[in-house]
Amino acid sequence: MNVDLLTQSPVFVLAIPLLFAFLTPLANKVSKELRNAVFLIGLLLTTLFVSLMAYEVYTMGSWIYVFGAEQPTTGLTTQSFFRITFLADGFSVLAALTIIITALGAGIYSFGHMKESNGLGKFYTLFLLTLAGVNGMVLTSDLFNLFVWFEVTSIASCGLIAYHNDRGESVEAALKYMIISVIAGLLLLFSIGFFYGEYGVLNYFLIRDSMTGSLIDILAIGMVMVILAMKASSVPMHMWAPDAYSEAPEPITPFIAITSLGSLFVLFRLLFFVFRGAVETSAIGSILIILGVLSMFIGVSMALKQSDLKRLIAYLSVSQIGYMMMAVGVGLATLGTGDYGIFGARAMEGGLFHMINDGVYKALLFLSAGGIVYVADTRDLNKLGGLAHHMPYTTFFFIIGGLSIAGIPPLSGFSSKLLIYKSVYLYNPVLAIIALVVSIVTLALIGKIFFNAFLGPDQGVGKKIPRSMILAMSILTIVVVLFSLFPNYVVAEIVVPAIEGLGVGA
Amino acid sequence: MNWFTLFPLIMVVTLIIMGLYVVLFKKNLIKIIMGIALMQNGANLFLVSLAYREGYVAPIWTSAPSADMVLPTPHALTLTSIVIGVATTALMLSFVMMIKKHYGTINSDEVRRCRE
Repeated sequence: MNVDLLTQSPVFVLAIPLLFAFLTPLANKVSKELRNAVFLIGLLLTTLFVSLMAYEVYTMGSWIYVFGAEQPTTGLTTQSFFRITFLADGFSVLAALTIIITALGAGIYSFGHMKESNGLGKFYTLFLLTLAGVNGMVLTSDLFNLFVWFEVTSIASCGLIAYHNDRGESVEAALKYMIISVIAGLLLLFSIGFFYGEYGVLNYFLIRDSMTGSLIDILAIGMVMVILAMKASSVPMHMWAPDAYSEAPEPITPFIAITSLGSLFVLFRLLFFVFRGAVETSAIGSILIILGVLSMFIGVSMALKQSDLKRLIAYLSVSQIGYMMMAVGVGLATLGTGDYGIFGARAMEGGLFHMINDGVYKALLFLSAGGIVYVADTRDLNKLGGLAHHMPYTTFFFIIGGLSIAGIPPLSGFSSKLLIYKSVYLYNPVLAIIALVVSIVTLALIGKIFFNAFLGPDQGVGKKIPRSMILAMSILTIVVVLFSLFPNYVVAEIVVPAIEGLGVGA
Repeated sequence: MNWFTLFPLIMVVTLIIMGLYVVLFKKNLIKIIMGIALMQNGANLFLVSLAYREGYVAPIWTSAPSADMVLPTPHALTLTSIVIGVATTALMLSFVMMIKKHYGTINSDEVRRCRE
C-alpha cells in the first residue's frame, strides 16, 4: 500500500487531533507525564501535517480532496458529486497556519499554567477537539460538513470556557456563548436547507456553478453572513466576546479568539469563492466595510472604560476584527472594477496578512496577560503594579505583542496596517483616518496596561512563572519577529497564494 | 402545491415562531433552552420536508417499485442534526444546573455577574 502523505495531509490535519483527543484521557489513567507527552505529540504531529499540506500547496498547487475517492487528487466527478470534499489551497493553508501557530503556543503554555487544576485529561481532550473543529471549518468545502465542524467547535470551546466551573461567572459566560452558538448553528442549518432545496447539492463548487441569485439565495446569504459575523465577534453581535474571553482559563483565551478568526476565514471563503457570482459584490462589500468600521470604533471605545485586564484586551481584539472586515470589504466592493487592480488587491493583501498577524500577536498578548494573572492572582488593573521586577521575560513579550497590536513601525502589525491604510485611503480617506485614530487609541490603552501592571513600586508576589509558559510565549514572539523582519516574503509566499485560492488574484 | 405538502412547512413556521417567542421573552433559563429545542425541531422538520416529493417512495433501493424515490440526503442530514441537537441541549442544561448551584436562581435577569 502506497499512501502519499503529501496529498493525504488535509485529512490528517483533522484525524490527528481527533485521535489524540481520545488518547489523552486514556494516557491520563497511567500518569500525568504520559498524558502531557501524548498531548504534545498530537499537537506536533498536527503541525507537521499542516506544514506538509503547506509544502504541497506551495510547490505543486492546490487540489480538491475527495473523501472515499480512489485517488485523493482526482477531483469532483459526476459520480462523486455527493461526496464530502476538502479544499487544499493557499487560503486553507493561511487559515490552518494561523490556527496551528496559536494552538501550539496555547498548548505548551497550558502545561505550566494549568498544572494545579484537576481533570486535566478532559481539558486536553476538549482542547484537541476544538483544534479539530476549527481546522475542519476552514478546510471543508461542503456546507453541511461546515455545520458539523461549526457545532463541534462550539460544544468543545464552551466546555473549555466553563472549565473553572467552581466560579459562577465562567459558567454564565459559557452558557451565553453556547446559546449564541446554537442559534447561529440553527440559522446555518436553515440556510443550508434553502440551498439544498433550491439546487439539490451541498458542495461549494456545485453551489457556485448553479447559483442564480434568486430571492431565496439572498435570504440564505444574509443569514450566513449574520451568523459568521456574530461568531467572529463583529459589532453589533459582539456582546458574548468580552465575557467568554475574560472568563475562559488563560491558555484558552487565544484559542477562543482563534475560533472567531476561523469563522471570519469561513465568511471570506464563502463570500469570495461561492457567493461572488450571484450577488452584488459592491453592496456586500459595503456591508462588510460598515461592520468593520463599527467594530473598530465601538470595540476600542468600549475598551477605554474597562479596568479588567482581560476584558480590555478582549475589546481590543473586537476592534482588530474590524480592520480585517474593512480591508476585505474594500477588496470585495471594488471587485470587477478597474479599482481592484489599483488598490483593491492591496487591501485584500493587507486584510489577509492582518489576519495571520493578528492571530499570532493577539495570542501573545493574551498569554502574557495570563502570565500577569498567574503571578498576581488578580485581573483588576487598579490593583496590579510593579510586576516588571518579577517577570522580565513576560514584560518583554508583552511589549512585543502590545506594540504589534498598536501597529508601531518595526513590528508585524505595522506592515499589515500600512497596507490597509494605503489601499483604503484610495477608496475613501475617511476610512483610513478612522483606522489610524483607532490605532492611536489602541496604543494608549496598551500604554495604560503597561504602566498599571508592570511599572511602579514592587508589591511582592508569591509565584514564579513556569518555564513552559516562557517557552510558549517565546515561540509566538519568534513568529511575530519573523513576520516583522520579512513582511514582503510573507505577503508574497503566504498571502498572495491565499488570494489566488479565493479566485480573485490580481 | 397542495395542503398535504404545505402542512409541514406551516408546522415549521409555527415551531420557529413559538421557539423564538420563548427565547426572546421568557426569563427562566430552562424555558429558554426549551425554546431553542423547539427551533431545532423546526429546523429538522424543514430539512425532512424538503426531501418529500409527492407520489415518490421511500429511498430503499432494493424494495422500491420504481426509481421515483424521495431524496435520501436530507434524512442523513437530519439524523446528524438531531444528534448534535441532543448534545447541545444536554450541555446547556448542565450549565444551567451549575448556574443554579452558584447563583441560587435561574432567572436570566439575576444571572448577570459578568457585566460590570
